[in-house]
Amino acid sequence: MSEACQIARKQDLPPPGGYKPIPFQRLPAKQYFSGYTMFAMYIGITAVSAYLYNINAKRIAKNEIEMRSAKMAIYPMLLAERDREYLKQLRRNRDAEAELMRDVPGWEVGTYYGERVYKLVPPDTLIEPIFHEYYAHSSPTEWFRRAYHKLRC
Amino acid sequence: MSISPFLRNPVTDITGGLVSHQMLGSCQKQEIRYMDCLEAYGLDRGRVKCSELFEDFHECQTKTKQFKRFVAMRKERDRQIAEGKLKGDEKYLSPRIDSF
Repeated sequence: MSEACQIARKQDLPPPGGYKPIPFQRLPAKQYFSGYTMFAMYIGITAVSAYLYNINAKRIAKNEIEMRSAKMAIYPMLLAERDREYLKQLRRNRDAEAELMRDVPGWEVGTYYGERVYKLVPPDTLIEPIFHEYYAHSSPTEWFRRAYHKLRC
Repeated sequence: MSISPFLRNPVTDITGGLVSHQMLGSCQKQEIRYMDCLEAYGLDRGRVKCSELFEDFHECQTKTKQFKRFVAMRKERDRQIAEGKLKGDEKYLSPRIDSF
């Protein structure tokens, strides 16, 4: 048995010099900025960027005011132009109706076979037409162009 | 045609005039004339006496006569195109798109 103890065997021994000490303390994360620094940075960056933003915002506000004023200035003229075109078209419609229904028995221009649309008003009052009447003489293409205008834009 | 509730009192009058043409409508004049006539004569006599006013109001509300005019004109125009009386540029008269 003593001979067996003299054979060199591999054993799991501690490293030479012993084990190093085991670190068991907490390692907190590294803090680059403190809390006050962060607040100061936030306020500083906000102030600088607000200044830069305001330079441009003033210019844009001026442009918007200019554009709005221009639109308000020309709005009455555009409205007047539209009304004039509307009245001219009413006249053209009346002439076309007279031309079209010339040979239809019993038809008078502006009435429905002689029966006036509104009976208790003077005969020469302007009765504003409905869409169908305004577009009564138009081609189907133009009709649909106007009727579905909002879908196409 | 029942226009007013069976028992009229201030409580029913609160919401009585909510839906009418008086605020924004194009039929304001016709409606007020008809309602004044009805108020003067009541419903039974008013059916007979205010019939013309009612017809104007009904026409303003439903625009039936104006629509019938359109139907008649359109039919006549299609008939004339089919028989060949209107051709080419004479077929239709289209308004400008932004004028209505």
